[in-house]
Amino acid sequence: MALLVLLATVAGGAQQLGYREVTDEVGRRVPVPATIRRLVSLAPSLTETVFALGADRLLVGVTDYCDYPPEAAAKPRVGGIVNPSIERIAALQPDLVLASLAANRRETVNAVERLGIPVYVTGARSVEGVLDSMRRLAELLGLAERGEALLGELRTTLDAVNQRLAGRAPRRVLFIVWEEPLISVGRDTFLADALRRAGAESVIETGQDWPRLNLEEVLKLQPEFLVFADAQPDAAARVLAGLRQRRGWRYLEAVQQQRVAVISDAVNRPSPRLVEAIEQLARQLHPEAFAPGAPTPRGLR
Amino acid sequence: MKLTRKRLILTCGALTLALLMAVLLSLKLGAVPISIGDFFLSLGRAVLRGDELPSEYRLFVFEIRLPRILLGVLVGAALAVAGAGFQALLRNPLADPYVLGVSSGAALGAILSLAVAGRASVATPLAAFAGALASIAAVYFLGQREGQLDSFTLLLAGIICASFLSAVIMFLMTTLAGQHLRGMAFWLMGDLSAPAPVPLGWLFIVLALAVGAIYTTAADLNLLLSGEQEALHLGVEVGRVKLVVYLASSVLTGLAVSVSGAIGYVGLLVPHAIRMLFGSDYRLLLPATALGGAIVVVLADTLARTVVAPTELPPGAVTAMAGAPFFIYLLRRRLE
Repeated sequence: MALLVLLATVAGGAQQLGYREVTDEVGRRVPVPATIRRLVSLAPSLTETVFALGADRLLVGVTDYCDYPPEAAAKPRVGGIVNPSIERIAALQPDLVLASLAANRRETVNAVERLGIPVYVTGARSVEGVLDSMRRLAELLGLAERGEALLGELRTTLDAVNQRLAGRAPRRVLFIVWEEPLISVGRDTFLADALRRAGAESVIETGQDWPRLNLEEVLKLQPEFLVFADAQPDAAARVLAGLRQRRGWRYLEAVQQQRVAVISDAVNRPSPRLVEAIEQLARQLHPEAFAPGAPTPRGLR
Repeated sequence: MKLTRKRLILTCGALTLALLMAVLLSLKLGAVPISIGDFFLSLGRAVLRGDELPSEYRLFVFEIRLPRILLGVLVGAALAVAGAGFQALLRNPLADPYVLGVSSGAALGAILSLAVAGRASVATPLAAFAGALASIAAVYFLGQREGQLDSFTLLLAGIICASFLSAVIMFLMTTLAGQHLRGMAFWLMGDLSAPAPVPLGWLFIVLALAVGAIYTTAADLNLLLSGEQEALHLGVEVGRVKLVVYLASSVLTGLAVSVSGAIGYVGLLVPHAIRMLFGSDYRLLLPATALGGAIVVVLADTLARTVVAPTELPPGAVTAMAGAPFFIYLLRRRLE
């Protein structure tokens, strides 16, 4: 990580031409204009980050799926995440395009680059990585101070959660991406790290990012909580009612004892709202740590 | 090889025994290994003396593995017999249950219901079955020539419908997508872990009726092997035979796809393998194919859920990976 930060520092030679060369998060060398005026985002998480940094006036293009904050929907669209229109991106004449390793395809990045438009690719695989990625984006956009302020807020929330959870055993959970077939998350995803930050550990340990699981394994491991991400915050009752009817699932202790946590689907995006989702999850998994009587961490809130 | 009653009984008996072995193996293997001996002992005690069956057996055997194995038997038998049916009907060795667009219709139905409901539900397989029926009807009307089902017109109509429906699926998957995409993609690759939306007993009744309907035409299908004109001269009601085989095979495909997604290669490989092993008399071929298909899918699903535990493979990937080399072996052996 330190090496990446070092590489990302300004390269002197190129600066004289109004460009500096930075190394993006997947190790590509990208010539970035000294001042960025026109920005296209190819992932909802990146759009959210740019808005959170207060740089939304720079955004001249977003994807069809960029729905947060609501203002993002008013920006010109360049198409889907997997299949954006290269022509429309070119027509917007951006001086930098932001892409994400997890969401976008390499072919898209190459096609945009071939038009002479620099593409910066983010690739966070942990919560710390997501925060670091925000800091680097802020720097790239010349908003280092704003970035530090945003990061400070997010870290305060994370630290507060962390302190409240100090000394508490992590809950053994299963994060459920899809029910039939059953799909969860692997250990190398930022989602798995988000679970750890919320005082949880996944009962499944695998290097696959989106493992398709056998329900038998889950029944053997008996997670304490099932965690779902849903757009509706009050989905827990509906989800639980469905699971109690379902063959196999109804034998899960977590279902029988109604231990189902539903958090904002913002957790699926490596954006500033991820931290909010982590706090939500921590509150549901460890309610006693957030109870009014619980000792408040010193010096925070 | 002349088909005698004795050979029919022996062959089907041996295959039934093999299926039983496959089922027991599948019951045994998994996250929590089950001792078959102990299981039957406990089951015997539960039935005879009214003892409580240990919860481990109730959960892993009756709640999870047995329904999944039975679903595998159903899907395997349905796909394999449908394959044999389509190969006879279209007189094309490359025909499989999916060639006439039935699976694309089912997939489109399932994806539409996912897109509307937002998540998988009871309606998903029902919508898949509706999609299958709609494409069966469309291909049936397009596949007629002078009021009769014509093999080549039917094949062309089916292939065109299939590619049209696939294009619609592509369109939907690129425009709707979002986080449902992963569930849809798995659905297209096949999955036996989802419970059927209606009791399995009903599905087995449909299976038996459709296989039975094809079996009534077995003697006529044997005569059709030598050509349509020849069969007509020998007194075969070619039009009726084609209609029965088309409808029954389509229903079998729709049944299988709506509960398991698209599991490939079973319908293509199993009938050919059975032909190479036991000859092409349809009176033996049809029951042997049903049993063979069931064995293949039960074993493939057992592998799919155990080899990369705790994660799973799509069973269709296993049938293709294990099936293709076996098929090539049979093919070479026959040529030598």
